[in-house]
Amino acid sequence: MEHEREIMDVAIEAGHILLENGAEIFRVEETVYRISRHYGINSGSIFTLSNGLFVTADSVGTEPFAKVIHVPVGSAHLDRVAAVNQLSREIEEGKFTVSEARAELERIRNMPGKTYRMQVVGAALGSAGFAYIYGGSPIDSLAAFIAGAILYLYILFVSRPHLSKMVGSIIGGAVATVASMFLYSLGLGEHLNYIVIGSVVSLIPGVAFTNAIRDITDENYLAGVVRMLDALLVFFCIAMGVGLVYAVVQRLMGGVVL
Amino acid sequence: MNLFAQIFAALLGTIGFSIMFSVPREYYPLCGFVGGAGWLVYCLVLPYSAVPEAILAAAVLVVLLSRLFAVWRRCPVTIFLIPGIIPLVPGGDIYWMAYYIVMNQMEMAAEKGFEAVKIAVAIVLGIVFVFQVPQKVFSAAVRLFRKS
Repeated sequence: MEHEREIMDVAIEAGHILLENGAEIFRVEETVYRISRHYGINSGSIFTLSNGLFVTADSVGTEPFAKVIHVPVGSAHLDRVAAVNQLSREIEEGKFTVSEARAELERIRNMPGKTYRMQVVGAALGSAGFAYIYGGSPIDSLAAFIAGAILYLYILFVSRPHLSKMVGSIIGGAVATVASMFLYSLGLGEHLNYIVIGSVVSLIPGVAFTNAIRDITDENYLAGVVRMLDALLVFFCIAMGVGLVYAVVQRLMGGVVL
Repeated sequence: MNLFAQIFAALLGTIGFSIMFSVPREYYPLCGFVGGAGWLVYCLVLPYSAVPEAILAAAVLVVLLSRLFAVWRRCPVTIFLIPGIIPLVPGGDIYWMAYYIVMNQMEMAAEKGFEAVKIAVAIVLGIVFVFQVPQKVFSAAVRLFRKS
């Protein structure tokens, strides 16, 4: 089978997209197995970490195949995970040839994400909702809506392109706190605490946290523990950013704003 | 009235997160439903229990609904689970921990920190146990639902 390489490339690309966009390890491995098996390669073997894929295949009478792929963890695009999932199901139903599947994966990789405006509105909605359910009043919720939008602009234009995750999260916590204090000092909002809690929620590592639990449950300890560490570190950094601003303000103004 | 507002806020917040995580648009209402339902259970159980127990009850429902919707709409469970679980994440407690550390009230800080850990454990338990329920149960439930 001379196109063993082509088949494995398609299977790996599917796994790559899944891992990159916030799928569980179990789903990544299962998808790679299913696709390669459907196209007739039973000797495939895969090992997945939270940021890498190791794949080999060694059918009788062909060159052994091996590939290592580094997958830097990006922001989650769950629509791509859903699309690859759907594709893998349709491949198994025999609806795609190998080259068609490759073209479809190419399309999924280039699926346009949500526009920046949509994402900012999403973050602001999240902030407003959570400020309210954590105990804030409707006015606090409004302030959190604005502060959450400011934080997300910082994430999109400063943190993601230029900063490491740790520094980005610490400064992110600080940005949200400063924005909340500013709005509060202008008279918008009744409880500073709930405004800050709401405004920082878009930094919460929900994908890493949930996937870590799933991976550890599936006994993919290595990937799960790395993701859990990632989540805990980000939680810690956010708290640090908020705490730093409070500490500075307390020193400078003797806690007037608080 | 307050309960309604709470559920509505949780629903909107969950949809906000679905947008941030690029969930396909047609699933926004279901994601919001999962988040809102989880928070409803939390609010209903809370008067009779401690916070972590109420969170556990909510997490169980969130995971059940996520798996059910995943089978029903034939898409990854992650799509509903990740946005839906976020209202339960102990963000508030972690904030208060940081707050009390800065205020030098270490006892309160430790209390909030442990509360956060307890809540995280409750979420973990909810996810771990409900994922042990065989897929067949959800397929059967969806088939039953389709028939009626």
